[in-house]
Amino acid sequence: MGYVKKGYGPSRRQMLQGAAGLAGAAALGAGVPALAADKGTIVVGTWGGDYAKLLTKNIEEPILEKEGWEVIQDQAGDPERRAKMMAERRLPRGTTDVQGLSGSNIYQMGAAGVTAEIDYSRIPNAPHLLDSMKYKYGVGQIYSGMVGVYTPKVVPDAEAPKSYRDVFDPKWGDKLGIIDIQYQYTMVAAALANGGSPDNLEPGKELLVAARKAGCRIYPTNEAFAQAMKAEEFGVGIMWKARTVQWQNAGIDVKAVAPSEGTLAYVSGFAVPKNAPNMDGAYAYLNAMLEPSAQEAFAEDMGYNPTVNDAKIPPELNARIGFTPEQVAALVNLDYAYMTDHDVELKEWWDKEFVG
Amino acid sequence: MGAATTANGRLSSEARGGSRLSASALIGPATVFVMLGMIVPLLILLRYSLNQYDPRELMIETFSLENYVKFFSDDYYWDVFLTTVRVATSCTLLCLLLGFPLAYVLARTQSRFKSLFIMLVVLPLFVGNAVRAAGWMSLFGSRGFLSVSLQWLGLADEPVEVMFTETAVIVGIISVNLPFMVLTLQSVIESISRSVEEAAFSLGAGPWAMFQRVLWPLALPGIIAGVILTFILAMNAYATPVLLGGPKFNMMAPLVFDQMRLGNWPFGAAVSFILMITTLVLTALSSYWMGKRYRR
Repeated sequence: MGYVKKGYGPSRRQMLQGAAGLAGAAALGAGVPALAADKGTIVVGTWGGDYAKLLTKNIEEPILEKEGWEVIQDQAGDPERRAKMMAERRLPRGTTDVQGLSGSNIYQMGAAGVTAEIDYSRIPNAPHLLDSMKYKYGVGQIYSGMVGVYTPKVVPDAEAPKSYRDVFDPKWGDKLGIIDIQYQYTMVAAALANGGSPDNLEPGKELLVAARKAGCRIYPTNEAFAQAMKAEEFGVGIMWKARTVQWQNAGIDVKAVAPSEGTLAYVSGFAVPKNAPNMDGAYAYLNAMLEPSAQEAFAEDMGYNPTVNDAKIPPELNARIGFTPEQVAALVNLDYAYMTDHDVELKEWWDKEFVG
Repeated sequence: MGAATTANGRLSSEARGGSRLSASALIGPATVFVMLGMIVPLLILLRYSLNQYDPRELMIETFSLENYVKFFSDDYYWDVFLTTVRVATSCTLLCLLLGFPLAYVLARTQSRFKSLFIMLVVLPLFVGNAVRAAGWMSLFGSRGFLSVSLQWLGLADEPVEVMFTETAVIVGIISVNLPFMVLTLQSVIESISRSVEEAAFSLGAGPWAMFQRVLWPLALPGIIAGVILTFILAMNAYATPVLLGGPKFNMMAPLVFDQMRLGNWPFGAAVSFILMITTLVLTALSSYWMGKRYRR
């Protein structure tokens, strides 16, 4: 896990170490960096890569650091960060103030007693937050939906899938691509396709096994899936609409279709560990990420939809990343409690019966 | 040594006590560091492996062998275990087979480019595992360089699928481990005097007899070290099996990560221990067997 320091000024430790030098320089009238961290430090657990850069660009630098906060990112994958939170949960003082997690992981950490219940009265922007994004143990920052995707190079528009049922149809044979790390959403989507529901995945297993027997391809990661689609190894699958937009921007010929069964929603947000050293900083972060400017910038840069009702998304961008009012009304959430309780057995089924 | 040394050259008990004291002082800090940095976390992990998984609590403290029983009573996990041992053994043997001649040439060459050749051997280690695997991916894909070349040469009618197979993983691991084997063997072979080989030849031994009766036994310490090093690395390989083996191919280290990612620490800890103990036992057995078989 890497710590990345953000901010205009040095950390407090560096300030102490260099106090004499800085004082001397100041006395001589030399230009010293602006000491922005007068409000304190916020440590943010986050994924690395583009997402971390966008947090810096859209939330930390333009909002928090201007308000006088110093922000340090603790970058790692969410399994590592959840493990760290678990390991620290008995400590009176943890090492992070807010943690970026998916909706289901927000639920899992809350259920495990690791994260604090959110006090929405401490978030001035909370009145604009969509009700569906207000969780007991976390706040939704961005969302997208799991849509059907196809590349016209392999599947003509006329034969494009219109539903999850069409996507998982065994008729595709090895033209269907499935992503291993998306096993949760794939199983729920297949369940919806075959008469099941987010808390009844059995019908979907049957459909997945049929698709597997017909020769569907399984890719380890989203990136491998995109690469193979670009190489025309397969033509149909499911993916976040936001990711599809990013792939389109990267020159991959891919189209998205909102499935007729209702689109599975993916929510990414932030939770606050119970032992966060800086609760005020944590709430400042939650509030800053809900600022319309930050939400609009994430829609523009990453293709994810805002979770507040006061963000202004240009119509043409909304047409690419968003959903119609009917599609929004038909969004389907994972049953987080069900997924938390059954995750290990679902993964075992996936590994043994489906992939294996 | 002087006064502290007895007539037959042995240290007096006073001097031995002093040297023991200074030896303790020298190895003490490192021992404490290793104890704190490795043994203690291992003991904690061992303790976790005896706990029970709960989806809400994640871990319930108890003393149970159920995680170990689950592993050994399930065909799927047995298969992962056997695949790991098979791949690690294959990689180690192939590294030895490919590495020995290369190490021999490097050790015996008088070329002024010797340092350059050694650098070339080490070159794959300059690149991170994931980046190296990405290179193999572009080679092994069904529309990758290998497949397209074979089709272009008329040696294959359809795209050749090497990606996401055991072969891809073995090739990937060998590319990482081979430099370790070569460097270990090269340093040992270099220390074997060329005159010993010449003596064997002058006594009528052929190249194979010289190798079997002289070079191999003398190089055995290096061979054992190289085998141990590459076997341990292969048993614990993570990035290469994940990236080149794909979802259908499973080895122990990715299984550990999978379980930890799911929050099932007790089972993940048990799998870690099974992997570690297996690696230690197989390493010790192979070293013992090789030593006994050839050190005559």
